[in-house]
Amino acid sequence: MAKRITIDPISRIEGHLRVDVEVENGSVSNSWASCTMWRGIENILKGRDPREAWLFTQRFCGVCTTVHAMASVRSVEDALKLEIPLNAQYIRNLILINHGLHDHIVHFYHLSALDFVDILKIPAADPAKTSALAESLTNWPGNSKKAFLAAQDKVKAVAASGQLGIFTNGYWGHPAMKLSPEVNLLAFAHYVQALEYQRKSVQAVAILGSKSPHIQNLTVGGVSNAINLDSLATLNMDRLVMIKKLMDEVKPFIDQVYLPDVCAIAGMYSDWFNYGAGVTNYLASPDLPTDSKNTKFDLVGGYIMDGNLSSVHRFDGFRDKAFVDGVTEGVDHAWYKGSEPLHPWKGETEPEYTDWQAEGKYSWVKAPRFNGKPMQVGPLAQILVGYAAGDPLTRKHTDKALDLISTVAGHRIGVEKLQSTMGRHVARAIRASMLAELGEKHWTLLVNNIASGDVAIHNNPVFPSGEIEGVGVHEAPRGLLSHWSVIKGGKLVNYQAVVPSTWNGSPRDAKGQHGPYEASLLKNPIADPVRPLEAIRTIHSFDPCMACACHTFDPEGKAIATVKVL
Amino acid sequence: MKKIKICGVGSVLLGDDAVGPYTARWIAANYEFGEGVEVEDLGTPGLDLIAYMTGIDVLILIDSVENREPAGTVTVYDKAAITRQRPAVRLDPHSPCITESIFVAELAGDGPEDVYLIGVTGEQLEVGAPLSDSVRNAIPLTVQNVLERVVLHGGSWKKRETAIESDIWWEAAQMRVSA
Repeated sequence: MAKRITIDPISRIEGHLRVDVEVENGSVSNSWASCTMWRGIENILKGRDPREAWLFTQRFCGVCTTVHAMASVRSVEDALKLEIPLNAQYIRNLILINHGLHDHIVHFYHLSALDFVDILKIPAADPAKTSALAESLTNWPGNSKKAFLAAQDKVKAVAASGQLGIFTNGYWGHPAMKLSPEVNLLAFAHYVQALEYQRKSVQAVAILGSKSPHIQNLTVGGVSNAINLDSLATLNMDRLVMIKKLMDEVKPFIDQVYLPDVCAIAGMYSDWFNYGAGVTNYLASPDLPTDSKNTKFDLVGGYIMDGNLSSVHRFDGFRDKAFVDGVTEGVDHAWYKGSEPLHPWKGETEPEYTDWQAEGKYSWVKAPRFNGKPMQVGPLAQILVGYAAGDPLTRKHTDKALDLISTVAGHRIGVEKLQSTMGRHVARAIRASMLAELGEKHWTLLVNNIASGDVAIHNNPVFPSGEIEGVGVHEAPRGLLSHWSVIKGGKLVNYQAVVPSTWNGSPRDAKGQHGPYEASLLKNPIADPVRPLEAIRTIHSFDPCMACACHTFDPEGKAIATVKVL
Repeated sequence: MKKIKICGVGSVLLGDDAVGPYTARWIAANYEFGEGVEVEDLGTPGLDLIAYMTGIDVLILIDSVENREPAGTVTVYDKAAITRQRPAVRLDPHSPCITESIFVAELAGDGPEDVYLIGVTGEQLEVGAPLSDSVRNAIPLTVQNVLERVVLHGGSWKKRETAIESDIWWEAAQMRVSA
């Protein structure tokens, strides 16, 4: 008989992501993903000036701040058909690149690595062997025996203190943990080093955006960074050099630590290329525009259906007709009023709470569909679309990663295997290595453009009296993000954000089709229902981001995850 | 000289959860500090809080809390009280994680020596709502608690001769605290 497990990490007030799975004979037979807190944040934008919407959307989520700001200004610019000066495009791109690098590093090391790395095995490691292994992979200077000894001492000190702190709730000693003590030590040492490098990317964002985590430099029509290479108060050569220096420090970390670590762990856990494919329809947006009219991009967008990598449909811009016409959101299993799926420009956000009902409504997340189909978004979608479209940059970085994984695994792992739990981690690391390379390119484009005498940063928006509609699209760290705005007489009359975690965390639709989180959990092994590590691995591989909302600190410690087995 | 960082945390879009950002902005508008003291509105940084607490000696957080006290109660938690909370098994990187961030920063050997959470008990978390009166009235006491900790750790402050306007953009046209 099936056992129902509820993984609900959050107390009453915070309410984010809840996952329910039914386990039968050691494997997941049914699943539900639900968001347990109502947002409806979009409603506060109605009636506001579209030029200030991005300040509010930037506060939708404390981690994805810049991405909501960017999608918002793009949405209004799209409605106005406004061109964006080249300098503004490059400055925005550099912000997106550095924010993305920070986000991906934190996701792998600080959210996900401990799903695969067993901290309590580290005291048994031989640091000399760890160093020899690491040096066989890359030339990273942080791979000395001394560095690994220091990392091992940290773990020993924590273990000896009896206060495991952050490690209290880890699934240590779980039968699904398979790395040797030496590899566990390697990954943990890099976990600590990663803290320093993710911070450098934050610093680069702060210089470009005047502040971080909430950038200040966007305008509808461009950016507000005045450019004068010789003036102290503006974006000058000193600041540009500081940004370059930070990016030059982060890139080797991506190339020599993050990507090789992910590939090594993937090779050692190659069975995880067999689980978690879930929804194999993929949707990605083009991004990093290189012209003022948004017709040329460095990241490829498009869609793939049914996992068929030999057939890809490319999007030619942010407002590709196939994309704009194909998106709807349904509420059959979400706590909202309504019946038929609606296009986001016609979208409604009227709550209708029932209770958690397995066969009825069970989530605050709507069910977005593309041509009626559930779609997976995220780095995996972006990498597969780029690879299938033959994009040279995507192919170069993907092939390099697959070669390394295959070497470690001892058998060939092809691109089709990326459609899996492990593939999502690998795709994110591939995306990071592409972004690190593109960071250099866009920095050079910006500097050369300024050197050519172009200092334009902004085109003035002019609002017509009639009604206009815009879509602002961004390929964010978690995947395709779109903000849909309807503007009348210079005021917002509707605003809907269709965020990546809505696509991936979608509940079932009217036809009973699972969303990607749900579908990916099916057939996952679960060795121990009380410690469902395998389900957490698959959920983490998406880099979930649910309510992005309330931050209330609870000193009673109610934020402990509860795992209920019914 | 110690590096002291005063950070308001919370969502400005969710009623009383805005008390952290609100108070941080109000402090920046009404007070000047000696060298080494910074004031920031960090929003809801989740795990990203780590990036803002490394290299800091004293971290003073202002946040809304849920602790069964009457709305508007100001409670100060020190590092020991904060880290008594066991961190959660985490499904997403965004959930509140002051405790976890402190542990991770300490692992890197770069965490703040002292941490305070100046907590204000909230009343409502409604989307788009301004601060409740109970919470708004608690701001002077919250500020006083922040300033006392600044002085305790060797920092200095003085009231601005002319306050600059506090930039509470999300509450435009709402009532504000009088300086």
